[in-house]
Amino acid sequence: MTRIDPKFGKKLKRYGAFDYDACYNCGTCTSVCSLAKKDEEFPREMVRYSATGNQDEILSSLKPWLCYYCGECSTNCPRSANPGELMMSLRRWLTARYDWTGISGLLFTSLKATVIALLTVAAGVILFAFFMNFDPEAVMKYGHYFEMAAISGVFAVILLPNLIRMWYFTVIKPGYKVSFKAYFIALKELFIHMFTQKRALGCDDNRKRWFEHFILVIGYLTLLFTTVFLDWFGTDSLYVIVGGYIVSAIVFIVTADFVTGRIKKSKEISRHSRPSDWLFVIWLLLMGLTAFIVRIAIDTDILHDNFWIYLIHLTILAQWALIIVPFGKWTHFIYRSFAIYFSKLTSN
Amino acid sequence: MQIRTKLKFDALVVGGGIAGGEAALNLANNGYKVAIIEKELSIGGKMILLSKVFPTLDCSACITTPKVSEISRHPGITIFTESDVENIEKRGEHNFIAFVKRRPRYVIAEDCTGCQLCEKACPVITKDQFQYNLVGRKAAFIPFSIASPKVAAIDMENCTLCGACEKACPSNCIDFTQEDRFYEIEASTAIIATGFKLYDPANLPRYGGGQYKNVLTSMQMERQLAPTRPFNTILRPGDGKVPDKIAYVLCAGSRDDSAGNPICSQICCMYSIKQAQLLMGALPMADITIYYIDIRAFGKGYDEFYEQAKGMGVKFIKGKIGRISELSNGNLSLRYEDIQSGRIKEAEHDLVVLSVGALANKETPLLFKGIRPDVDKQDFILQGDPILSPAKTTIDGIFVAGTASGPKDIPDSILSAGSAAAEALSYLTR
Repeated sequence: MTRIDPKFGKKLKRYGAFDYDACYNCGTCTSVCSLAKKDEEFPREMVRYSATGNQDEILSSLKPWLCYYCGECSTNCPRSANPGELMMSLRRWLTARYDWTGISGLLFTSLKATVIALLTVAAGVILFAFFMNFDPEAVMKYGHYFEMAAISGVFAVILLPNLIRMWYFTVIKPGYKVSFKAYFIALKELFIHMFTQKRALGCDDNRKRWFEHFILVIGYLTLLFTTVFLDWFGTDSLYVIVGGYIVSAIVFIVTADFVTGRIKKSKEISRHSRPSDWLFVIWLLLMGLTAFIVRIAIDTDILHDNFWIYLIHLTILAQWALIIVPFGKWTHFIYRSFAIYFSKLTSN
Repeated sequence: MQIRTKLKFDALVVGGGIAGGEAALNLANNGYKVAIIEKELSIGGKMILLSKVFPTLDCSACITTPKVSEISRHPGITIFTESDVENIEKRGEHNFIAFVKRRPRYVIAEDCTGCQLCEKACPVITKDQFQYNLVGRKAAFIPFSIASPKVAAIDMENCTLCGACEKACPSNCIDFTQEDRFYEIEASTAIIATGFKLYDPANLPRYGGGQYKNVLTSMQMERQLAPTRPFNTILRPGDGKVPDKIAYVLCAGSRDDSAGNPICSQICCMYSIKQAQLLMGALPMADITIYYIDIRAFGKGYDEFYEQAKGMGVKFIKGKIGRISELSNGNLSLRYEDIQSGRIKEAEHDLVVLSVGALANKETPLLFKGIRPDVDKQDFILQGDPILSPAKTTIDGIFVAGTASGPKDIPDSILSAGSAAAEALSYLTR
């Protein structure tokens, strides 16, 4: 049975939703959307569910993830109800609902909690360095171990269970019967979308944004690979060193453009930034920047005397790996691609 | 040096549409001298150009023309057509001064018989604004067949000064030496009846308004259905085909923040329903679909009129059109979300009518010198007390009639004109 919950709106507004109650159900948003298609209609359906507080339907729906915030719905909405931003808020709300720890919800809705979490991690890093007597060799060695441990730990304890929850909410609970073979066949879809975000190209006039995002994802993954598996800060291989410089520079340049976009509010998508959005782009920017500086410090032999350079980088990295990746906006990387995978499974 | 003729009237009515005319008539019938200032070449406003009226389906031209004749022949009413109000000033109670400029018609109005020989002789063809650009007209022309006054005019912007009309005119009334005439009109009260503007579909690129050949405005369709229509049947302008699958897009430029007009225009639902019924009569085999958000049939007999349209087979689909695209054969594909089923649909039609909304005449308050009447958020003249004295503006002695204070249908405009005349009368006798 469906229950109407008018208080749901208040909850959703804490995730950034706007005046979507102004909607008079004309369907303009759905019909101007370049990504919505027959049998995959949004965002009006989601606006309706939000207005009536039909949380079960929203939780079992993959549609919020199929939206790439082209912004046409919000630009053309006759009631200025901003359906694009509602979809964004629903993605935040869903991320919080998928997260079994409940920390995502806390961080998305409270700036205070986010700041406390960031400070705690920073204090942890300083404390760790203190116990190592600020010995550069030891800190860098364990710092490198930390990177690997954090990646696998976060994945096993947070991301994997959350992904299973998402799968349960959207595929199992609504009662879709999917054969084992179908899971296997649709895998292709998953990887294509995970690494190319091809679907975002469906947005009209969006080539540049897609290309930047694409470069950023590839750059970020390469940077991760270079620093963690090729041990960029410890290596002597010239290829790795130069390659690391290039990818960290790319990550820095692209994120700088993303940050300016959010400051200028030039596009519909960047008009209503939330703390979680700022955190994501700024930390990404800082990661590229500090990694670049650390490697320069190594190459110019000044790191030993200016060890704080590495500590800043390690702090940024730890905050990124322990807060933003498991509980923040980073998760959209996983949920988006799996949403397309799951929707492929459930559409058959 | 300009010569300004000084004239004195009891009341000044700005705008000679149906509301201004009705208000003037009420005042004149009470023995007052009234001046009507009309910017067009004919009085009658928009109503005289309409096909039929809802919900009675009376012929609009047939009920407007007697009224218009009554106004033009009334001894108490002086009409200034092709005239602009330069400014109106309130100098005190019962003391208003209006500066008026009357543009030349290049025809001696008193001598013109309306024989249209000048029209035949004129070699220049230009767009006919009274047929909303559906057809052409000459540069020497009678505005439209039921115009009042039915006097020719020369469109100097397009005239080549060839003199053909002058030679053809049997009463020698063409006069190229005419110049602007200026008046200073003193009056004891004034009524604003400046009407409304139609929403410009060029502001709706999603609908291809003004760009796709077979997307018309509702006013163009109104002309095609009127007794004084340009063609003798319904044609789509792209290729002259008789359409058989016609779509109406409601709320085109109304109730839409993104189009810059958030309010309901109050007339579009009903005129679209009316046109749909008329089209079913004109083209019995045609399918007519009306795409709507809500049907607002609130007036007396309106809901029955809506039901009648449904009964006749007009299709009503809930869902605002998102996008219109033009196909290679001139047909149009309309994309919308069918709200009933929640599904995205594409429908092909061979003619699309945009039911364009009503906007305020933004120039109206600018006609005033000194204190200007206040306007509402949409720039319509603000009614001081919209419930109890709807005809009063924020200036004592200036009243508002018809759609100058907000979108209205014809019955409401006439009511409002009566109310403005009554308020003006009580002001005059105070």
